[in-house]
Amino acid sequence: MLREEVYCKLNEVFQDVFDDEDIRVEDSTTADDIEDWDSLEHINLVVAVEKKFNIKFNMGEVNKFKNVGEMVDIIISRI
Amino acid sequence: MNNYKYQDLKLGQTNGFEYNVTEEKLNMFKCLSGDNNPLHTDDKFAKQHGFSDKVVYGMLTASLISTFGGVYLPGKYCIIQQVEIKFIAPVFVGDRITVLGKIVELNDSVQRAVINIEMRKNNSVKVAKAKLYVGFLE
Repeated sequence: MLREEVYCKLNEVFQDVFDDEDIRVEDSTTADDIEDWDSLEHINLVVAVEKKFNIKFNMGEVNKFKNVGEMVDIIISRI
Repeated sequence: MNNYKYQDLKLGQTNGFEYNVTEEKLNMFKCLSGDNNPLHTDDKFAKQHGFSDKVVYGMLTASLISTFGGVYLPGKYCIIQQVEIKFIAPVFVGDRITVLGKIVELNDSVQRAVINIEMRKNNSVKVAKAKLYVGFLE
């Protein structure tokens, strides 16, 4: 799957989790860029991404993403 | 009080308890919440609007979800993260509520359990169903 295709699906996940159809994420996007992205929504986001891409993150990974790009790197490595 | 940690839980695991709704609890909830809407305090008003008696606060019924998570499953180490609930039928003073929950999802990467909860009154009518998302104290 191309990185662009991952982002296409990932944007759907973000839009659904944060209930905002205008959200568009990119490599540099962080929690600071999305108002509602707190620790609880992070949990919802991680689980939603796992389900969307049918992958599993490790416990250690989920709190270490510096930005969306790092999450996408792991997604691509698992699909 | 149970004290399950995340690693102790299994998909399909269940737990539950029963709760008697009394006039005193209804009054205590009114004092705690400040909700003095007549649907919950005035039986004549409630009857005028199609109910057989004053209606127990939905949020009092919903508070049993806190008891379920904090005392029964998982218990001591529970952190309630999210609750979704639908109120299906009214509850009245004198009803006995049975609360039953079942683990339907375990999210290893974030150590979260998702529990479906069903509440019935007097062993028959379903009054509410809920989805409870819980994390765990370290």
